[in-house]
Parts: sequence; C-alpha cells; structure tokens
Amino acid sequence: MVSTFTLAKSRRFRIATVVGFVLLVVTMSPLVASAQYLHPKIAKQSTIRNVVILPAKVDIVRDSMKGPEGMAAESELLSTRVENTVAEVLARKNVKRLSAPASSSGEGAQQKYTVADIQAKFDDLLPKVMKKRSDVKKGRFSMGDEVLNLNLDKSADAIVFIRGQGQKLTSGKKTFVLLVGGMPAYLRLMIGIVDARNGEVLLYTDPIFAGDPTTAVDRLRKALEKGFKKLPAGT
Amino acid sequence: MAPASIAGIQDQSQPAPANVDFKFGKADLDLLEQVNLLDARFERDGLVLSDEATNALLRHIGESLLPRGLKLENVSWKFRALRDSVPNAFALPNGSIYVSTGLLARMDNESQLAAVLAHELTHVLRRHSYLQNRSNRKKYLTMNVMAAVGAFSPGGVAGAVITIVTAIAPFIVLATMFGYGRDLEREADLKGIDMMIAAEYPPEEMVKALKLLTNDIEGEQIKLFYHDHPELQERIKYLSSYLGARADKVTPQMELNREKNAYFAKTESIMRHDIQLAINAARFRSAVYLAQRLVDFHPNSAENVFWLAESYRTLGPRSPQLTDRELANSAKKDAAKKREKRTPEEEERELLATPAGQENWKTHQQKAEELYLRALSLENPEPTAHRGLGMLYEKLGRTSDAVREYQKYIELVPDAFDGERIQKRIEALRRT
Repeated sequence: MVSTFTLAKSRRFRIATVVGFVLLVVTMSPLVASAQYLHPKIAKQSTIRNVVILPAKVDIVRDSMKGPEGMAAESELLSTRVENTVAEVLARKNVKRLSAPASSSGEGAQQKYTVADIQAKFDDLLPKVMKKRSDVKKGRFSMGDEVLNLNLDKSADAIVFIRGQGQKLTSGKKTFVLLVGGMPAYLRLMIGIVDARNGEVLLYTDPIFAGDPTTAVDRLRKALEKGFKKLPAGT
Repeated sequence: MAPASIAGIQDQSQPAPANVDFKFGKADLDLLEQVNLLDARFERDGLVLSDEATNALLRHIGESLLPRGLKLENVSWKFRALRDSVPNAFALPNGSIYVSTGLLARMDNESQLAAVLAHELTHVLRRHSYLQNRSNRKKYLTMNVMAAVGAFSPGGVAGAVITIVTAIAPFIVLATMFGYGRDLEREADLKGIDMMIAAEYPPEEMVKALKLLTNDIEGEQIKLFYHDHPELQERIKYLSSYLGARADKVTPQMELNREKNAYFAKTESIMRHDIQLAINAARFRSAVYLAQRLVDFHPNSAENVFWLAESYRTLGPRSPQLTDRELANSAKKDAAKKREKRTPEEEERELLATPAGQENWKTHQQKAEELYLRALSLENPEPTAHRGLGMLYEKLGRTSDAVREYQKYIELVPDAFDGERIQKRIEALRRT
C-alpha cells in the first residue's frame, strides 16, 4: 500500500519536473517580443528620411547568487552596438543616420549640456509614455521645441532616443533559475523617435528578447526589426 | 584654515577617522572597477559641471577636511559638482565626491557645504561602500536560499510562511540592508562633526544644513518603509546631542566660514545654472525659491532678476508654495503618482481650468513681465529677458509683441545657442 505521504511526495516531484521543463523551454527559446506605437502623422506614410541617433543608454547587470553586479564596460559596448544595429535596421527602411551633435561638434560645455538636458527630458517623459503607450497614437506626447537647441543638420527629420536594461546570469544563477524560477537573461529596449522640429513623439517601441544581451547579436537585430516593423519606409 | 590632523580629530571612544587596515578582496576590486567607469560615464553624459571655480571651491573645502598626510589604498580624491537640481551628495569608494548643484544652491555658507563633504569623506575614509557591498551580497545569498526553500516546500504552515516571506523578502532584506546603512550614515554624521571642528568649521552648521534640507519645497520627501539615511529630524536630534560642548569653542576662522555673503558671491553663477536645471526638471517652486534668494542677495543684478522672472513665468498656474494639506504624506504620495502619469503641460492645462489656477497664472505672468522689464532697465541689462518676454507674450496671444521681443533677442545675442528655436517661433507666429 502506498502511503498518502508518498503519493503527495511523488505528485510534488512531478509538478516540480513539469514546471522545471516549462521554465527550461522558456529560458532557452529565442523569445522576441515587441510592441510599437505610431503617431498618426507617420502611421501611413513616413516623412522620416534622416535621423540623428543620440547616444544610447543601455545598462545591463550580471545577476549572480550574491546579487546583481554592475557591468559598466559591457553596458557601454552594448550601447554602441544597439545604436549601430538600430541604424542598420532603419537603413533597410531607407532612413539615413546623420551624425550626432556631440560627436560632430566637439565644442565646449554648452553643447554637451544641451545634449544632456535633451536626454534628461526624454528620461522624464519616458515613464509617462510607458504608462500609456497607446497614447502615442493620439499624439499626446511631446518634448517641445527645445529639441531645436540641438542645432542638428537641417535635413534631420527625427531624433532617436534609446534606453535599455537587461541582465545576464552567472552559471550558478542560471541553474538556480532553471530549478526555482526567476527572471532569465534578457534585454529590454525602450526606443522613442521624436520629431526633430517640434519634439512630438512619432514612434515608441519596446523590443525585448530572452538571452545573454552581451552575445545575442542576431536576437538583437531580429528584435529591432520587429520593433520597427510598422514604421513605413522612407521615400 | 588649519588643516585637519588625525590626532586632532581622534576620540578614544570613536573609531579612527580612516579604516587604514582594510584588506581588498575580489568583490571590492570589482566594485572599484565599476565605480571608476561610473566616473567616466558621468563625465561623458554631461552630468559633471565644467566650472573650474566651483570644482576648485569643493576641492579646497574637501582637502582642508582630510586628515593631513593620509594615504589610502585605491583612493584618489576628486571633488565635483553634478548638474542636478535635486539636493544630493554622494561619495564613490574610489574617492570621487559629487555634490549636486541643487544642494550647492540650497546651502547658506561654506561651513554647511563642509558639513556635507565631511559626511561624504567619512564614507570613503571608513570604506563604507565596500562594507555595505559585502553585507548586501551575504544577505542576497540568504534571500536566494530562502527562495529555493520556499519553492520546494509548497503547502503546509512552514511553506506558507516561507512563501510569504519570500514574496516580501526584497523589502525585508532591503530594510535590513538600509538599517545597516543607517548605522554607517550615523557614523558619517558624527565623524563629520569631528572633521569640521578640526578644520575650523563651526560644527553646528551641520545641523543647520540638515534643517535647510527639511524644507520640502516640491513635496517630494515621502516617508517610505525604509530610507537610506536616518530621517532628517532624527539626525538633527542625535547631532544636536552629540554637539553639546563641542560647539562652544568658536575661533575667528569659524566666524569667517559662517559668512553667507562670501559663499553667495562664490556660488552665484552655480545657483543661476541650477535654476535653469530646476525649470527643466519641472521643479518650478524650487526655481522661484532659489531665484528669490539670489535677488535678496544681489537685488540689482539684472541676471538674478531675469532668473526670478523666468521662474515665475514657468511656475504658471501653480501656487508658489505647497499648503500644509498638500504637504501631508498621503497628499504627497498622490501627487507623486500623478507626476508619473501627467506631463507638466497637462498639469498646467488642468490647473488653468480652475479659478485658483487662473488667478495664480495671472499673478505670475504679471510678476514675470515686471521682472523682465526690470532686468532690461538695470545696469548691464540681461538681453535674454527679451526672449522671456517673447515667450510670455506668445502665451498671452500678443503675437506682434512676441515677434518684436524675439527679434530683439536675436539681434542682441546673434550666436545664442537657442537661436534656431527662436527663429522658428518667429516664423510660426508670422504665419498666424
């Protein structure tokens, strides 16, 4: 005769096995998801031909059993890679990347401050956009005409702001996540395209993928391609 | 000013000012590498103020507080101002001390700034960041183990308890972590007092600085489950009791270090810079408060009067000060939630739909116009006041006046960094 204790124990084991398997599949699958919201101005026909991509701010951490650790150097490399991949993906939509103000001018403090202030303004606006992303379609969000202070190339139609956060796991933490559950390695990007003349938010997209953000180059490109899928190609 | 010496600030009942016996482990060196990169990032992102005079002032005060001849492994002292209108200061374990422009603008004298620096220096000298990091890592490991136990013990009394603990563990663990942090903060406060006395800064100015910071202009000091610093009132209490007879001895140098005018003269340009940052960050009440302080200090400065005008114009329909009701903790929480959802423009539109908002708007626009005109009539008139008047008239629907003022601004400041923006506004107004 099998005792109730043994039955409960074996059921528990089966549940744990199934949960573990599902988590394993979720963790290992090349999960890519993205949502995108377009301003009515560009929903049908894009007027975006030239963009300036401001320096991306993508921060990742290494999550270990002893807590998250900073990855400042890797974050910087990843920021540059994301910027370049965004430029590649947009180029396939006939959208050309123009040089950013900080790198093109190289002048004193005022230019640096202006870029920092515009980036900070986007950071202030971002939580509001994320709270009600669908309002981008109503043309609710704007950064105002202060964007003109960047003194961009006259042909610039829009400014691209990139933010991101993610984590990679140490091998110990990977095992822990497989057994117990928890957040897998991932990268989530928050990208806003803003009208370079009046600051209106024209597009917001937040692609996300599961995988090591420092090595998953293909997943990054696929996630970005999906993220900009609805953006009409420039003419 | 006499430089501080280790002997001068040594107290038998207290630990030494610096933790010189600290042994670096791998985790500490990893942290050091990260913070070194953080320094570079602040610089690259335009967050560090490129103002040599301000950084020199911070360096002068900081170095005068440091124990003479003390060399600490992996510490290279740097004192810098950060472009941030929120009053704040922090120390990185590599010796980089950052003070926000918001904090610099709120202080009344050099001694209060010295109090802030002495507190931050203690964090570095006593290796607080490394100690806190080590403690956090141990607690995080415990939390992970608890999560594992919780996951494999479903059901039953013990399981339920563990599940609940696991669900809220981040808060409990964080509370413990931040509780530990509070001890270190207390140590930094008390050691800071000793350092101030040794460097001939009147120590009671630390309490005064804290009192200045209790002035919750924006209604953003919300009591949460935990705080990384002991509450300001609690700090004022224990610092006052620690000061006791220590505050009795006053030297002539201490009197000099207490002078408000000397401090304002040194930091006037920073205060103006901070007002712009406060306006950018929609901290309009802070902007008015700080600009009023500047005008009180130097009433005939066209630049100061301009900043007060600019602050009132952007304050718009908001009240200049929060009421007691608005400063209640629950009201502040509600306001914070609204701030997360609403843009400043939407807030302004909502307020303008109320009689009180309309009244405020009318009063502030009038005040702003008077002040802009005054800024243009004083000696060394401030040409940017024409831009302010243009923006004011544009909002009031006085199109031709707005165009005229914008044009004057462009004429007087042909190489203005915002020239293109103003030119575009002129073109748009002409089309209407």
